Amino acid sequence: MSAPIQRSAEHRLGSFPNLLNNWPRRSSALLLALLLVFCGQLFAQSPTNTIRFQSVEIFADSQATALAAYQLEVTITSGNAKIVGVEGGAHPAFAEAPFYDPKAIQHERVILAAFSTQPADKLPTGKTRVATIHLQISGTDELKFETKLTTAASSDGKKIAVEISATEQRAK
Amino acid sequence: MKSNSRTKNLIIYAISVTAVLATAWLGTGCRKHAVGVTSLSSRETVIRSGEMLSFIPSAMTGTTPAVKSISAPRNAEELLIIARKSNPTTPQDETPGSGALMTEVEGQQVPMPLKHTDVRASVAGYIGSVEVVQQFHNPYSSKIEAIYVFPLPHNAAVNEFIMTIGERRIRGIIRERKEAEEIYQAAKSQGYVASLLTEERPNIFTQSVANIEPGKEIDVTIKYFHTLDYVDGWYEFVFPMVVGPRFNPPGTTNGIGAAARGSPGSTGQKTEVQYLKPNERSGHDIALKVEVDAGVPIEEFTCRTHNISHSSPSSHQLTVALKPHDNIPNRDFVLRYRVAGDKIKTDLLTHRDERGGYFTLMLYPPAELKNLTRQPLELVFVLDCSGSMNGLPLQQAKAAIERALHLMRPGDSFQLINFSLSASQLGHKPLEATPENIQRGLQYLRSLIAEGGTMMIEGIKAALDFPHDPERLRFVCFLTDGYIGNETEILGEVHKRLGASRIFSFGVGSSVNRYLLDHMAKAGRGTVAYLGSRDDGAKVMSAFFERISHPGMTDIAIDWGGLQVSEVFPRLTPDLFVGRPVILTGRFQGEATAPIRVTGKVARERFDFSVPVDQETTAAHKALPSVWARMKITDLSDESTYAPDPELPDQIKQVALDYGLMSAFTAFVAVDSSQQTDGTEGTTVPVAVPVPEGVKYSTTVPEK
Repeated sequence: MSAPIQRSAEHRLGSFPNLLNNWPRRSSALLLALLLVFCGQLFAQSPTNTIRFQSVEIFADSQATALAAYQLEVTITSGNAKIVGVEGGAHPAFAEAPFYDPKAIQHERVILAAFSTQPADKLPTGKTRVATIHLQISGTDELKFETKLTTAASSDGKKIAVEISATEQRAK
Repeated sequence: MKSNSRTKNLIIYAISVTAVLATAWLGTGCRKHAVGVTSLSSRETVIRSGEMLSFIPSAMTGTTPAVKSISAPRNAEELLIIARKSNPTTPQDETPGSGALMTEVEGQQVPMPLKHTDVRASVAGYIGSVEVVQQFHNPYSSKIEAIYVFPLPHNAAVNEFIMTIGERRIRGIIRERKEAEEIYQAAKSQGYVASLLTEERPNIFTQSVANIEPGKEIDVTIKYFHTLDYVDGWYEFVFPMVVGPRFNPPGTTNGIGAAARGSPGSTGQKTEVQYLKPNERSGHDIALKVEVDAGVPIEEFTCRTHNISHSSPSSHQLTVALKPHDNIPNRDFVLRYRVAGDKIKTDLLTHRDERGGYFTLMLYPPAELKNLTRQPLELVFVLDCSGSMNGLPLQQAKAAIERALHLMRPGDSFQLINFSLSASQLGHKPLEATPENIQRGLQYLRSLIAEGGTMMIEGIKAALDFPHDPERLRFVCFLTDGYIGNETEILGEVHKRLGASRIFSFGVGSSVNRYLLDHMAKAGRGTVAYLGSRDDGAKVMSAFFERISHPGMTDIAIDWGGLQVSEVFPRLTPDLFVGRPVILTGRFQGEATAPIRVTGKVARERFDFSVPVDQETTAAHKALPSVWARMKITDLSDESTYAPDPELPDQIKQVALDYGLMSAFTAFVAVDSSQQTDGTEGTTVPVAVPVPEGVKYSTTVPEK
């Protein structure tokens, strides 16, 4: 029972030569500590505890019909993501940042709506980016989301078929 | 084996130590990189590739041309950068005669990250919708975070926030304040351009914009709705431009501190406004345009605060704009307009959407009140004699009180109380309004000087803590700029000590604390009046006397004529005084089947009048849900001041989140996640502002 206590006291009072004399054991302990520090650092830098930002671009494809208005819904279904900004689209008719429903966004569900009163020849046709959603993501869970078109209309107010798609973008 | 093992261990150890040191070194490097400007030694000249060099006239700097010194205020370090040709700061940019030219010659041009504010307002009926664009830029040679503390009307329902980077517009998201702050901090530390809007007081906000790269510009657009005041026959549109320097009682840390430019953190307050010295000019200017559609003919209008240009597209429309040379944001913009007298009537506006019905009712006092005379009064004048009132504000306040003393009638009584760090008064009790006593009062008034801090609490105690004469109506008139940081404490004391008194507050100065003054009057069941730096104090007091020369309509109750009305704010309908309508905002269901009936007491007699409801003509207004939600937030906030309840903050937060509004517990945040700037975060640069017109820097802003 007494020997370990003595060794322990020796260790506490140990001078540099003592340290060298016990090098293999000491170095192993030191190395272990360093490895723990490294692991800690790696752990801190690993995605588990990180916060990152990325965007999701939302596209609408109205084929040959000019798109004048839309309402769509994007829901985060997996991944710890928060919506931190909603950006306008690529086409000048939808360059203004779309409106969102403040109640829905509390549940990381964004209902976007935008319209343009421009004539048909100044509205987008085919596939066009209508919005970009900026996200803050915590942890490593893969980001999953769903997009759903609520409605879309042409410049004469008629309901039109539009295909909605989305792609993730990493920061440049 | 032992030797080999030791050698092996030594090698591993050496590699490990090297790796640890390398990591530490890299970490240090990153941190240094993160603070950008601070990593540069003072007197280092930075020239970036692609930059155009330009020469700054020696007349401007008073030094050798070509290199201009720009300081990074937070770190009190000095940088030398090469001025960019695309963003020159030359004397020609400034307004001759504004004082700026002189400061340029003296070399006191101060670069600031806020370049310009553009205000566009439209008024329909008595609801204003305002868009404010703040144009930030980076005049420095390294990345910055800009912090700007600025005012908005205290009843502003801020419901839109858009960050513009080049042609890209990113709509900010309303979130719980703490969550928004955390998102902003994370984005800032990772080098993303981000902006955050927080509310420090109902009329004071902080705009933070992170990671503005050198030479880059970022605009932030804020939109809000608010109801206009109607005062003595005039509608009043007000846009505040600068936060006045506040006094915070000792021990306060949650106040609004006033600091000299370049001395951040010196006030010890959570929120701090930095002020330019009298001979400094930042180059931040403002443009403002207001379009009014009154719905009825506009008979006349006036703007005493600024030089304006105007046009009238039709008899009921008016457009005014600041003249380009009157562009220094150092006082409130106040536009007043009067519509045809017989058209003014109690007015109901409604709006329905999927959430239900919303309404506002502007309740005008019945014309009959003007035919009745008042009871004898006990008037208590409480004059703020603190340092911020030094000069013109005190002169104007004295002129107003002097007029009041001359307008008193036999049978009235009065008291004069002055406060700064402590309170003093004319007599131990109110004096009868005899000619001799009035002369005594005038002499006392003329002897008062303004200096020291603003211990308003002392003035409130002195004014409200003495026995009330039941034969007289006691009106307590506070004349102050309201430059204090402990509004909650003051309003709480007013509520607690009010008794039978009524409080009438007079805001004296060019940029007063309207939130405090309005709420003091509201808590004190009185009204508020403003005495701007270009107004006549005697005239404002005469109008006040006209108002109190007739009894108010009290104990008001409303029969809503079949409308199922709920959540009407303010919950207790204020008294109606001549010339001062009140606005009620609420929710409703159903249809009105009869006129709205208003009953109350006038001089102890029952009085009633009807408001016809024609739902065909009650114009729908999309702003009403936001205006109602803002009123509800105000009501809950007042409740938390007077009777704190731990559940109230959550209730306020939920209303704000549901309606997408700013509040003390919510904030707007916007992040551009598409691009990371170099480095992690920049130097924080607070936007220094001028002290309001008429306010002396020397008596309000402590030097470091």
